[in-house]
Amino acid sequence: MNDQMRAVRDFILQRNSTMDTLSDDLDLIDSRAINSLAFVEFIFLLEELTGESIDPEDLDLDDFRTLTAIEARFFTREAVR
Amino acid sequence: MAVREIEPIDLALDRLELMAESGYYNPYTMFDWPEAIEPDKPWMSESLTTLAGTPMWDELTREQQLALTRYEAINFFSLNIHGIRELLSEVVMRIHDRTYAGVSEFLHHFIGEENEHMWFFAQFCLRYGGKLYPAQPSLRADSVEHLSAVARELIVFARILIFEEIVDHYNAHMATDMGLPVIAREINRVHHQDESRHVAFGRMIFVNLLEQVAKRDPDEVPLVAEYLESYLTYSIGTLYNPAAYRDAGIPDALALRRRALEHPARLAAHEQILKRTRKFLSKVGVGRELVKR
Ligand SMILES: [Fe+2]
Ligand SMILES: [Fe+2]
Repeated sequence: MNDQMRAVRDFILQRNSTMDTLSDDLDLIDSRAINSLAFVEFIFLLEELTGESIDPEDLDLDDFRTLTAIEARFFTREAVR
Repeated sequence: MAVREIEPIDLALDRLELMAESGYYNPYTMFDWPEAIEPDKPWMSESLTTLAGTPMWDELTREQQLALTRYEAINFFSLNIHGIRELLSEVVMRIHDRTYAGVSEFLHHFIGEENEHMWFFAQFCLRYGGKLYPAQPSLRADSVEHLSAVARELIVFARILIFEEIVDHYNAHMATDMGLPVIAREINRVHHQDESRHVAFGRMIFVNLLEQVAKRDPDEVPLVAEYLESYLTYSIGTLYNPAAYRDAGIPDALALRRRALEHPARLAAHEQILKRTRKFLSKVGVGRELVKR
C-alpha cells in the first residue's frame, strides 16, 4: 500500500473509532464510514494527496465507494489525466 | 412529509410574531448600495478571518490580508445563501402540515425573511465579488438514517438553529465594526436583528422535539448529541474555504487550511464561535458530554 492510500485509510479509521478492520471492498458510503458531514473533508484530502482539483458539482459517487475504487480512480497511473 | 410519529407542535410565539410584524422592512429599498467599496477597507472583521491569531496571518502581505477579508466575506455570505436554500426547502415542505399548523403563522414570517436575507447576501456577493462560491458537495445518503423519524425531524431544526447561531456570532460582531464599509456593516446589522427572533424560535422548537425524542426513547438522545457534535465540527470546517485562500493569492491552500484548522489559536476561536450553542445544548441535555469517545 502506498503512503497516499495509507492516508486515506487513516482518515476513515480516525473517524470511525469502533471500526477495527477496513476491507478494500467495504461500501464506505452505504456503511456510513464516510458520511455526509465528513465527505467535504474527504474530498479536500483526496485533492491534496493527488494535487488535482475535484469539481464539487461534477462528482461520480462510485469513484468514492470503496478503497479499491478510490485507488483505481485517484492513485493508479491510469488515473493521472 | 409523513410526520405521524411526531406530535403537533404548539409554541407561544405571539411575542415573536408581533416583533416580526412591527419590525418589517422593505429589503429592496432599505440599503444604499455604493458603486464600489473603498479599496483599503476589509470586507469582514480581520479578527473573524480564519487565519486570525495565527502566524499564518502575520506572514501575509497587507494586500493578501485585505484580499482574504474580501474573499472570506464572499464565502461567509455564500454559506449563508446555501444554508438558507437548505432551510427554506425544509420549512416550506412542513408549513401547513398538521404537525406544524400551530406554528404556521411564524413560519410565514420566517420564510419571507429568509428569502430577503438570501437576496441581500447575493446582492453583496454579485455586486462586489462578482460571484458566489458554490455549495459544498453533499451525499444524498445522509448521516441520519440510523435515527428515528422524530429524531430526524429534530435534526432538521437543529441544523437550522446551529447554522443561524454560528452566523449570528459573526453578524453581531460585524454589526458594530466601524472599520468595515457601511454596506457590509449594515447587512450584518439587519441580519442580526431578524435572526434574534429566528434563534428564539429555533430554540423553542428544538426543546419541543428533543422532549419528544426523549419520551419515545431516552437512549436515542446520545445519538443525537453525537450527530450534533459532528455537525458543529462540519460547520466550522465550511468557514475555511481553500478557494478563498487561492483567490486571495495565498499558495498551498489545502495544506494551509489543514494547519489553520488545528492551530491552537483557531481551536480557541472555534470554542468562542460555538460557546453559546454548546451552552444551550448542554443545558437542555444534549451536549457533547453525552458523546462516548
Ligand atoms: Fe437569515
Ligand atoms: Fe434566520
